Amino acid sequence: MEQALVLRDVRKSFGATKAVDGINLTVPRGALYGVIGPNGAGKTTCIRMIMSILFPDSGELSVLGRRSALQAKDRIGYLPEERGVYRKMKVGAFLIYMAQLKGVSRDEAAARVPRMLESMNLPGTDGKLCEDLSKGMLQRVQFIAAVVHQPDLLILDEPFSGQDPVSVRLLREHIIAEHRRGATVLLSTHVMANAEEMCQHVVMIHQGHKVLDEPVAGLRRQFDRRTIHFEPLDPGADLSRLRAVPGVERVDTVGEGYTVVLVEGTDPAGAIARLAAAVPPARVELARLRLEDVFIRIVSQGATSSEAARALRAGLRAPGAEGAVA
Amino acid sequence: MKRVWLVAQREFLAAVMNKGFVIGLLVMPVVVGLLIMVMPRLMRAQGSQIRGEVAVIDPTGQIVDGLRAALTPEAITKRRTDVARRALENAPAPVRDVAGESSNAAIEQAMGAAPALTLVQRAATADVQSEKGWLTGTVAESAPRHLALVVIHPDAVSQNAKTEYGGYDIYIPDNTDERVETTIYDAMREALVAARVRAYNMDRAQVEAVMNVRRARSVTVTAGTERQTNVGFNRFLPFIFAGLLVFGILIGGQTLLTQVIEEKSSRVIEVLLSALSPLELMAGKILGQMAVSMLVLALYVGMGLLMLTSFAMLGLVDPLLIVYLIVFFLVGYLVFASVFAAIGAAVNEMREAQSLMTPIMLLLMAPWFFAQPIGRDPDAAFSVAMSLVPPVNTFAMMVRLASTTPPPLWQVGLSLVIGVASAIACMWFAAKIFKVGLLMHGKPPTLGTLIKWARMA
Repeated sequence: MEQALVLRDVRKSFGATKAVDGINLTVPRGALYGVIGPNGAGKTTCIRMIMSILFPDSGELSVLGRRSALQAKDRIGYLPEERGVYRKMKVGAFLIYMAQLKGVSRDEAAARVPRMLESMNLPGTDGKLCEDLSKGMLQRVQFIAAVVHQPDLLILDEPFSGQDPVSVRLLREHIIAEHRRGATVLLSTHVMANAEEMCQHVVMIHQGHKVLDEPVAGLRRQFDRRTIHFEPLDPGADLSRLRAVPGVERVDTVGEGYTVVLVEGTDPAGAIARLAAAVPPARVELARLRLEDVFIRIVSQGATSSEAARALRAGLRAPGAEGAVA
Repeated sequence: MKRVWLVAQREFLAAVMNKGFVIGLLVMPVVVGLLIMVMPRLMRAQGSQIRGEVAVIDPTGQIVDGLRAALTPEAITKRRTDVARRALENAPAPVRDVAGESSNAAIEQAMGAAPALTLVQRAATADVQSEKGWLTGTVAESAPRHLALVVIHPDAVSQNAKTEYGGYDIYIPDNTDERVETTIYDAMREALVAARVRAYNMDRAQVEAVMNVRRARSVTVTAGTERQTNVGFNRFLPFIFAGLLVFGILIGGQTLLTQVIEEKSSRVIEVLLSALSPLELMAGKILGQMAVSMLVLALYVGMGLLMLTSFAMLGLVDPLLIVYLIVFFLVGYLVFASVFAAIGAAVNEMREAQSLMTPIMLLLMAPWFFAQPIGRDPDAAFSVAMSLVPPVNTFAMMVRLASTTPPPLWQVGLSLVIGVASAIACMWFAAKIFKVGLLMHGKPPTLGTLIKWARMA
């Protein structure tokens, strides 16, 4: 299948700062990719290079099969992280202008814009000045500006920042609708829950390196082999019996139950059997690997290369691997 | 290209379709009109009639009668109408035709009532110091005011040993209407000249006839055509055209600058850049603002021509000049507008633009400094040099074109070529800065940084 986006060893420095330090990335057509990473990781620089707003110092790019996004601008929708509007322009006029710049005819744009405003829960705003809208409303206007020309590739830089939960849900529905329409979507976020729930594939960038490039489905099947959720049958059970089980490092109270953290290298199957023997459980299970845990561990560990990150993930899965520290 | 057109269209409409623009466009003509209409009324309103006494000490004894005659209201009125008529003679024919019909009474009315001054003669040997006391002393409300003291020198009529005539002194109290003085000056001149001419046994009317030289009607002759010239108007023409040029550039350039800064600070720029390249954006903006400038220029030039037509003076402006104005405006505008655009892209807010703007504004003020010397001597080495040195060459050439001696055609062409070349160079430089600067936020750049950016892009 043709790739929507290919980055090959792309590098970009600003003075002495290496913002993007050799990133390889392939996004197939029709995929929904999430890019995560802490602030200043290089996500926005990466996206700007994809958009040909910045140009890489070295490396190769291909966007929708072209050498540069400039040759495919009309087929790309882009919601930048730093987004603004003409404050003195009317919402409808602004969106029609943006659509026209993207090659939509005036009549077609004039027909589409009110419809889209309606569906974005912004009815009757097309005659208002942009400066009269709230920040959250403007953000939805800007989302419309990014999709008004029905792009093949939709790039969204932090689409959810500054939105209330209702708007986040609305935006999510629209992004998924765009994806269903056939658009390839690449969105950056640091709300892990959004990335985990929406995206098919997650890429993590940290300190200019790609440290994670994994299908979400695969991540969901992975377990944290050192963490066991345990809920006793008898709420008044004696906790110290759990602590005494060999291989247990510590026990934390979480809501109704406990989180048991095992000593490195302990076999989780044996540990579960021993824990169940010590205290009759209502529920005992191996914890699922959460994106947030991966994120925080990678960041707090300072892993700057994909090899280190791979080792870290391996450590999460397989006991005894190096580099896995709770 | 379609995108450039769309940007230009939006820029133009955004600039033109707002109240501020319309008001700004109308304010100047309205203010000028008001000044023309209201000022004379104001000046007349302040001109209440002057009444009072003027004391004279005349040791010669030959002047006081003449002065008394010259200070009668009739004599004052006659002098004033004479001055007004002389001024009219220099005015363009149509103005003269209109004004010539007006009677002396009308002129009289326009200027307000003549001062009523009563002459009080003092003894030839009177003490000046005590007479000064008369000036400053208090007077009863109903009594005539003491307005001035004229002390004539003993040698005012007969020449002294050094073959020079003596004069006279005027003493006036504080806060005297300036018209008192001028009236006395004029009357004294009349009385003194009359007394001196009489001392030589000459005829006053004859002397005046000898002194009078009729003002010539000047006609500029060029190959084939003759065109009536008007010295005053022709002196101003270069100023007017250079002013229009600078004015047009400033209108578009300033808006361009503030618009780019606003787009940058409101962060709409990155949204735009996802749809078009920086070059397309810059080109569109420059074109859009150019259209705005052209519209304003067209309105003002049109208004000016209309005014000239109504005075039947349209013949004074060569239609070719208007064509030159448009051509040189386009070239000059492109040079400066690209620099304005680059500065706008380089800075984060208006305040930071000031330091970078200073040299540009100085260049734009240049015409005020060189318009006069060039207008006076359009073919001097200085004038030729200025009209070939970018970026002021367009202004200088416009001044020369509007002057009474048009420059040789090859110089106009050369200046134009230099202008186009510098416009291309400026746009090339600006495009690079524009590309880099648009997404740069933070420390405002210096000229050095700008050059670095241009190398980078």
